[in-house]
Amino acid sequence: MIDFIGETERDAVTELLNIAIGHAAASLSQLVEDEVHLSVPFVDFLTPAQAAARLEDETQGADSVAVRQHFHGQFDGDILLIFPEKRSLDLVRHMLGDQVPLEQLTELEQEALLEVGNIILNACLGSLANQLETPVEGSLPVYVRGHGARILDSCTANQGKGSELVMFLHVDFSLLKKDIHGYLAFVMDIVSAHHFVAAVQAYVARQMAG
Amino acid sequence: MSGKTVLLVDDSKVARMMTRKVIESHLTGWTVLEAASGEEGLERLADSTPDFVILDVNMPGMGGMEAARRMRALAPSVRITMLTANIQDPVRHQAEDLGVGFLTKPVRDAELLEFLVGEP
Repeated sequence: MIDFIGETERDAVTELLNIAIGHAAASLSQLVEDEVHLSVPFVDFLTPAQAAARLEDETQGADSVAVRQHFHGQFDGDILLIFPEKRSLDLVRHMLGDQVPLEQLTELEQEALLEVGNIILNACLGSLANQLETPVEGSLPVYVRGHGARILDSCTANQGKGSELVMFLHVDFSLLKKDIHGYLAFVMDIVSAHHFVAAVQAYVARQMAG
Repeated sequence: MSGKTVLLVDDSKVARMMTRKVIESHLTGWTVLEAASGEEGLERLADSTPDFVILDVNMPGMGGMEAARRMRALAPSVRITMLTANIQDPVRHQAEDLGVGFLTKPVRDAELLEFLVGEP
């Protein structure tokens, strides 16, 4: 990590993510009418297997559901919103309100999670793009279900070049009153991570000059 | 105010449900129509002549910006706004250039009502 990214850039990445995830959290908070607690983001460079193992560990081997959005621009990658499977229906219930019957709620679960993902992931990506002053094109969100490893496999399979390492940016969030928690993760291959760091360096230079 | 017609164009059924809920809970007598794509939105515009169109940006097939551009040409008097999770400045600027509104998801009641009736 230290070899790849200097302390100033690391600090800038954390700050950029704090702001971006803050936007995402504000959107989630509005959707479910609850305060969202965020952990400090961490950034690490891992092999795909290590990243999968870490996620597997954090989800305690249980199935999760995720909404994944591929993005491209000056840097390419995937951004993921991940929830433990057993709590995803609760999230949808909080979002759509009590007036929707359970039967319909179950039927709408996947679609509702896709829309939650669409809003949250775009809030995060959009904030990053605005801060870095570089457009980021997002594809349509995709629903993925399975163990942590399977969810990350769906991303690393997209990483063409330099997939020996991935940049894994990760933040935990929880809804204070509703006992729902989840994870937000970025996965980029090393080639894209270099471009991302370059964009961050340009951002730092602008801040210093301004 | 007499009932107006609003066309919601979004590929997400849930997103349409949430927007419809805001309109129906505040604006009695208004009619809400739905379309799940830009292409379908254009068809509904032609056959139902809505007063307002609310368009998602990122949709499979024809995106919301292109649909808005075509709608502008077909029905210059209809009031259009984008309603999108894509908060990037260039997207906002595209909407401004097209002369349409720009609202962000999740939809806020006050902002949507301001677009529809000029007051929150």
